[in-house]
Amino acid sequence: MRSPRTLEVWKLGTVNYLKSLKLQDKLVSERKAQRIPDTLLSLQHPPTYTLGKRRTDHNLLIPESELTKIGAELHYTQRGGDITFHGPHQAILYPIISLRSIGIGARCYVETLERSMIDFASIYGVKARAGNKCETGVWVGDRKIGAIGVRISSGITCHGLAFNIDPDLKYFEHIVPCGIADKEVTSLRRETDALLPSEETIHEQLVSCWAKAFSYDDVVWKEDPSVILDSQDNK
Amino acid sequence: MGSRLLCASSRFASHLRISVSQRGFSSVVLKDLKYADSHEWVKIKGNKATVGITDHAQEHLGDVVYVELPDVGRSVSQGESFGAVESVKATSDINTPISGKVLQVNQHLSESPALVNSSPYEEGWIIKVEINDAGEVEKLMDSDKYSKFCEEEDAKH
Repeated sequence: MRSPRTLEVWKLGTVNYLKSLKLQDKLVSERKAQRIPDTLLSLQHPPTYTLGKRRTDHNLLIPESELTKIGAELHYTQRGGDITFHGPHQAILYPIISLRSIGIGARCYVETLERSMIDFASIYGVKARAGNKCETGVWVGDRKIGAIGVRISSGITCHGLAFNIDPDLKYFEHIVPCGIADKEVTSLRRETDALLPSEETIHEQLVSCWAKAFSYDDVVWKEDPSVILDSQDNK
Repeated sequence: MGSRLLCASSRFASHLRISVSQRGFSSVVLKDLKYADSHEWVKIKGNKATVGITDHAQEHLGDVVYVELPDVGRSVSQGESFGAVESVKATSDINTPISGKVLQVNQHLSESPALVNSSPYEEGWIIKVEINDAGEVEKLMDSDKYSKFCEEEDAKH
């Protein structure tokens, strides 16, 4: 009989990208030292373009100097995947979990991330699917609705997934999203006529689908983001 | 000719140990290597070691599209990360099973990262290291222990 698995979920609202990177670094160390349980961050970012470890900046179609004009930042990261955009009305999940505790590797982890987004989309009648080989992510037809970019160090995950609820899709015109040309980006708003509830409810639904896909027994919701966000500043 | 083939295959079988996971797919574990619990292997010859990731590791990663290699001459420390592989939009750190100085990196992996999948113990080797302390090998698993370790890990899922 396996011991029950607990997930702690932090609802962080809108967080600056660099701040979220520092927070994840700290949480990865804590998780590695087994001082915290598996943790999930639920948040959004202000307009931000990010690159992965392979630094595929040829997929940024406007000069970096133009980014401030459109109100966006650019960050280089150690995650897998190509260039992407994060912004308001895009729901992001950053799981900081131990893959070794559940005995899975990168491939199974990513497939489960895809499944959680597919389940979430189905709540609104949207039939999404996992990407084909080399097209990791979640698609509705030929339109990408959910992106994945992950880092795993010593079996602990960080970065994660981004699901388009109703972001300003014009921002995606300045990149070759995920390095895949000729494919559109879409959003939940575009793919369904259903009435969308509040963003808070939508984020909670996405978190629930994620927790179910990863078979957690207990989900503990942490309501005060200042506990982990501000504690970093007191160094 | 037939008998030579038979001899060759039995020699091959004598240093191969197959571990079968609960789901029935088997990953290859070689008897003459040592293994870390982060799924890297090391082959030691005198004061030189060759390091790579195991068949179990490459199966669980998916298709490798990129390998980040360290600089030659860099020091590496047992259990610490020295590079990474990318597969399915995930970068996974690779940790060294042994401390020492990097003598050589497998440049072929820049052009052909998939060698890590197709030949994890041979053409997919990642770095060669001049080792400091041969005693560190005591902390690693032999093929039997590693096979059991893989079975236990797969059973969690």
